[in-house]
Amino acid sequence: MKREDRRFIGIVACIVCALTAALAIAGCSSGSGSSSTTTAASSASADTSSYTTVESGKLIVASDLAYPPLESVPDGGGDPVGFDVDLMNALAGKLGLTCEYLPAQKFDSIVPTIKQGGKADVGCSSFTITDERKEEIDFTDSYMDSNQGLVTKSDATATTVDALNVAGKQIAVQSGTTGEEWAQENLPNATVVPLDDAIQAMTGVQTGLYDACVADLPVMKYLCNNSYTDLKVSIEIPTGEQYGIVVSKDNPGLTAALNTALQELKDDGTIDSLEEKWFGSTM
Amino acid sequence: MRACGRALIVALTCTLLALGITFVAAPISAQAMTCDKATARPNEDGGSGVIGGETTRLTWEGTVESGEDVTKVTLTIPDDGTFDGSTTRVTVLDGLTRMSVEAETKTSGNTLEVDFSQAIPEGSLVRLEVTNMCFPVEGGDYAISGTYESQAGTSALPDSPSISVIANTPLQRAVTWLDGQSWVQAWNSNQFLGMFFKPQLLLTSFVSLFGGWLVCLVIVIVAYPIAILLGLAFAFMKMAKHKVVRAIAVTYINILRGTPLFLQIYIMFFGLPMVGVNIDNNVLGVIVMAVNSSAYLAEIFRAGIQSIPTGQYEAAASLGMNGAQTMVSIILPQTVRRVIPTVTSDFITSYKDTSLLSSVGVMELMMFSKNLTTVSGNITPYMAAAIYYLIVTLPLIKVVGIVERRMARSESGGGPRPKAKGSATPAADPSTPAMASVHCEATEDDGVHGVIGALTAPFRSASSVTPRHDEMGGVPDAL
Amino acid sequence: MRSRNKHVAMVETPDALPADAAAAAAFEHDHVLSRHHFTPGEHPVVRIEHLNKAFDETQVLKDVNLDIWGGEVVVVLGPSGSGKSTMLRCINLLEKPTAGHILINDVEITGTAKTDVNKLREKLGMVFQSFNLFPHLTAKENVMIGQMKVLKKGKAEAEAEAIRQLDAVGLADRADFKPAQLSGGQQQRVAIARAVAMHPDVLLFDEPTSALDPELVRGVLDVMRDLAENGGMTMVVVTHEMGFARDVADRVVFMEDGVVVEQGLPENVFDHPVNERTAAFIGNIADA
Repeated sequence: MKREDRRFIGIVACIVCALTAALAIAGCSSGSGSSSTTTAASSASADTSSYTTVESGKLIVASDLAYPPLESVPDGGGDPVGFDVDLMNALAGKLGLTCEYLPAQKFDSIVPTIKQGGKADVGCSSFTITDERKEEIDFTDSYMDSNQGLVTKSDATATTVDALNVAGKQIAVQSGTTGEEWAQENLPNATVVPLDDAIQAMTGVQTGLYDACVADLPVMKYLCNNSYTDLKVSIEIPTGEQYGIVVSKDNPGLTAALNTALQELKDDGTIDSLEEKWFGSTM
Repeated sequence: MRACGRALIVALTCTLLALGITFVAAPISAQAMTCDKATARPNEDGGSGVIGGETTRLTWEGTVESGEDVTKVTLTIPDDGTFDGSTTRVTVLDGLTRMSVEAETKTSGNTLEVDFSQAIPEGSLVRLEVTNMCFPVEGGDYAISGTYESQAGTSALPDSPSISVIANTPLQRAVTWLDGQSWVQAWNSNQFLGMFFKPQLLLTSFVSLFGGWLVCLVIVIVAYPIAILLGLAFAFMKMAKHKVVRAIAVTYINILRGTPLFLQIYIMFFGLPMVGVNIDNNVLGVIVMAVNSSAYLAEIFRAGIQSIPTGQYEAAASLGMNGAQTMVSIILPQTVRRVIPTVTSDFITSYKDTSLLSSVGVMELMMFSKNLTTVSGNITPYMAAAIYYLIVTLPLIKVVGIVERRMARSESGGGPRPKAKGSATPAADPSTPAMASVHCEATEDDGVHGVIGALTAPFRSASSVTPRHDEMGGVPDAL
Repeated sequence: MRSRNKHVAMVETPDALPADAAAAAAFEHDHVLSRHHFTPGEHPVVRIEHLNKAFDETQVLKDVNLDIWGGEVVVVLGPSGSGKSTMLRCINLLEKPTAGHILINDVEITGTAKTDVNKLREKLGMVFQSFNLFPHLTAKENVMIGQMKVLKKGKAEAEAEAIRQLDAVGLADRADFKPAQLSGGQQQRVAIARAVAMHPDVLLFDEPTSALDPELVRGVLDVMRDLAENGGMTMVVVTHEMGFARDVADRVVFMEDGVVVEQGLPENVFDHPVNERTAAFIGNIADA
């Protein structure tokens, strides 16, 4: 009996400790969270045309940097390159800010990062504007149209939706992307394997680990033409999705400013020339 | 059972209806607008099903055939479904090129009207993504029907391929119930608690992570005996007289211990298919885990065997026992006792390391929780995964502690004595109990002490392999 | 390997003598030095001829010659480092002699194949300074395991023998105790029972009481005395127990620096040592 009692007291003590620790952490996180967001929110509510950035004078961008030709780190390292990168630099220029990229982020962590705030101002990683994402964060106006593409080995036999929508087929996707959603919705019988980045998915298809991968068409085309020449885009999936830049809901001023700058870049032909540079034609 | 039957009936009627409509509608008028597909986003927490009565996203695609322009599309779902509260994203495509078309949408119960600002030209693909709509609660196979307007007037849309909707599950109902509780709302309003311990997600995570947990367990449970055998083999090889054999073992052990498991997983999973070896992912996972563990076990076993004092070999030899007999009857039994804590710790490590397999697509615990976190944007699935890991590791850590304590006790001579037969006096050796008390500081098995003991156990286990002063075979009374 | 060859080359040893000639010579040498009752034509159980042992550069045994007769109790004395333990361990080949011959019942064991060594060791029981009981087995199982694994006895038979031997050392009531639950003295008695249960031709004792508390020594010595006087066991005992040597030994051998310095009847060696080093050693022990 005594032993039981003591055990019970021990368990209670543990629970109390755990709760105290949890609350302490909670207190800390909510404290820091609110302090960092209030500056943004207060200035935003005062005047939506003004905005704050994490570091003054800088526009910090979160991106997965593994999605050529939109964003990638060149072989051998160095500064990120790509359509999105040039675009962000141009936009930052319009706003009078210096564009700075965080090291490569996991794609599925970018929206939460921007939502949480304090680390980066915007997420620009070929984000398709969706209503679900809009519940979490704000999007700027779209800056490019896109579609999905399904890639298989060049000599693969299973290259249609019907042939791939079979139990046992493995479809690699990038975690958190519209490509992942498409695969889950349209290939429900196959196993959808979410990976950290598209390059990994392509490598997996190349080695035969997966039967196909699904991601944004421009990227799939680019990778098939350049790095993964033994793979091909087997299905071009018309989705007509549009890319937007991810901004925190607490920073509407920044969204507005970016939209203005975006319009200017559209009007002065910068975006067309960037498309020419990275895709060989205007989209 | 009854629900099942009803679903079947609904499915049958739907199929019959659909068949009927195609037969009736097709010959009457040439279709000017076809429906290419209709799919719904899985909204089962952690599953791949579409649940009725819960918000989901409907994607409907139709093509405008030759000869007509379309100005308006109306979609209809069965009565209990609703478009109310949904938002619709309208995309019109010419091939892969997006056309700029404005559209106005209007929802009313189970119908959705999409009014295009300009007529959609022939050959265009109309894509409607309706977010936050609900299918009927009962579930079944539902086709999307509707009408469209063109210059020729209003015509019926062909039914879409049907979408399988499952009835609301008890789990989903429990989640819905939790959604309505005020304490849950209060709990979730705390940023930390809501992000790490959201009750609804915790519940669904437990259910949907279960499969992944089983995969983890099966992988490590199948892999470990293999690892033990391999480890023993390499331990003996490393102690072999033959130089080449020793070199092979040393190379094997050092390479595996000197590289990250993550890298080994990558090499095996991406390398083997490249040379044409295609093995099932789970089997390959077992192989990688077994091979990796075997290197660590080999070292543990070798250290364990070498920690047995030479006196034991000499005593066995003086009885005339040969090498194999000595190893099997004398050395290994003692080694096993000594290495149990370290091996258990290694097992715990292996079990946790199965999480690395998620990076190559093995559908284990980490993979499931990663997916859930991606979908929910919440950390709770990871916490549920942590609990699943702890369910296994905490008892094992506790076991390690108990075994170590018992071992310390028996090696120091403080263990329980069997009843002496006859009228013998208890062994009159005053040093024995004194030694026992030194070694068994933690014989009290109360809760707090036990937990702390369990948490620190893996860090103490290394001592079990170091030789104790039992070369005397027990109590060194001459000290 | 290489170093051993070097020493073999260094020490020149003649071949082992033919059995009859050796026995005759041994009798000639030993009959005045031992209380042993010699019978005509008796051959010694153990013959050690020109035994040499070196560890690397250190010569531990230098041309040791000794014969042990059936039923004889030989106590080997000497300061630590004199090579007496090494000699004992050479007899059952726990140490491999560098040169020389050891014969058990006129069969040469030096240079035998490895499998035969195990066969030979059945006939040579050993009791260690540090007991070396198997800690995972009970007292009874310790006594049984050799019988079962080596003599291939059945479990029941081995168990009966184990109980008998444990009873002989006064520990029948401790049969189910693990070594860790026994005192040092009890452990050593179990170790003796373990060795005796194999019914060896010769029992070798390597400082059996040195690791024991003084009050526990007596019990072990009593068991050994009983073995010698009532069991008729052939025993070679390396020890510092002078009383035991004087009372129980048929012959006392004094070693120093790897050489047998003096041997003879206990009363002669203790009371009238011929060699001055023996005298000094015995004087020191007596003073201590």
